Amino acid sequence: MFAARLSSRVARPMAQRLMSEAAAPAASGNLVINFNLPHETIYDSKEVASVIIPGLAGEYGVTAGHSAIVSQMKAGVLQILHTDGGDAEKYFVPGGFALSHENSVTDITCPEAVKLDDLDAATITSNFADAKKEFDSAEEGSEAKAGAQIDMEVNRAMAFALGTTIA
Amino acid sequence: MATEKQLFQQINSTKNIMKITSSMKMVSAAKLKGDENRLYAARPFNKWATTITGPSTPMENEVEFANIPDNALIVPLTSDKGLCGGINSFISRGVRTMCGVLDGSGKKSSVVVVGDKGRSQMRRMVGDKLVSAATEVVTPYSFDLSAAITAEVLAAGNDYSCIVILHNKFVNSATYIQEYKVLMPMASTGDDEAMVEYEFEPDIKNEVLEDLGEYLLCSELHHALMEAAASEQSARMAAMENATKNAGEMVDKLTLQYNRARQARITTELIEIISGASAIEG
Repeated sequence: MFAARLSSRVARPMAQRLMSEAAAPAASGNLVINFNLPHETIYDSKEVASVIIPGLAGEYGVTAGHSAIVSQMKAGVLQILHTDGGDAEKYFVPGGFALSHENSVTDITCPEAVKLDDLDAATITSNFADAKKEFDSAEEGSEAKAGAQIDMEVNRAMAFALGTTIA
Repeated sequence: MATEKQLFQQINSTKNIMKITSSMKMVSAAKLKGDENRLYAARPFNKWATTITGPSTPMENEVEFANIPDNALIVPLTSDKGLCGGINSFISRGVRTMCGVLDGSGKKSSVVVVGDKGRSQMRRMVGDKLVSAATEVVTPYSFDLSAAITAEVLAAGNDYSCIVILHNKFVNSATYIQEYKVLMPMASTGDDEAMVEYEFEPDIKNEVLEDLGEYLLCSELHHALMEAAASEQSARMAAMENATKNAGEMVDKLTLQYNRARQARITTELIEIISGASAIEG
């Protein structure tokens, strides 16, 4: 019994490590990202210089050789710095997870993401107002109230990403 | 022997069926295109989950079912609509075998089924294990749907030792195979602590792991649903093509019979006229 437990304890992380190694580490020493949505492949095994991830506990940057970390993302801006320099490519993400593995591969997974340039400030403001109205009218402690609160927070984060503040 | 009129009606109805099956084939071919595109987006999306959970196991080796832990929740993905070859029967048979093997080794198991076809078959085969069913799901499948099904599966109970997703995997438009994947819960402490080599941010591993686990299930289910949808459509396409071909052969055969019957009638009539005429002459 003890042996079985021990072996499963050793075998699983080992299998994991083997598997993540199989997922093709960067040959050139760059960071490799997988950034994909359920309905769209944005970057699959793409080499980049670094990414800046909006973690729930604060923004942080990931470059090649980053220690293994699992991070829950908040609604915010995800920045990708490409190897050829230039401005960061900015995406707005509503939340999700970022997993940096030991082999310089980082998986970013979220249900939706839009380019920051595609956000429309006027629509955000009106959506925020709608969500706020719903939040105020919804019953205390109900699912609708929680949903409206999430709506408000995401819209506020979107406005913040565009450099405006809505209350 | 059918009469001439019966044969004629049979030919007509077979021709109508042929029209239906051939248009169903074309509809499936068009839908398959969309399902394939969605599948090719879902595969890279689920890559992060595969690095944690490992690849799926093909369902050819029944002995391996014994490795599934006690008190497992089996989630077979089937379709709501029929006329798509054996895809649902293969899955149902797999669940029956799996439950049989688990019963044999004294392990408990429960089933939450997705799809109407699977539900009716499962109720017959393993009715005592069926906990709930998600049927009449909206097509085409989306991430929202995957999230809803995840909620359904999670609502079935959290006290299961693992979740086994069982589905058809799309290989190409002529082939699909049955696969299953065992998703173990991720413990944040103890001997079986998951993801030990990772740091967690925010630094509350149990909470992050719980969220991650639910999201992982959703991601895996999404991928599996997409595989199942593409398999269903490709299987329907193949089934309808065969049906159209068979109907064509049947029409040919019936036409031959019909012509023979008509010729026989004409010959009989001629003989009657000739013999009548010769009787008058004679």
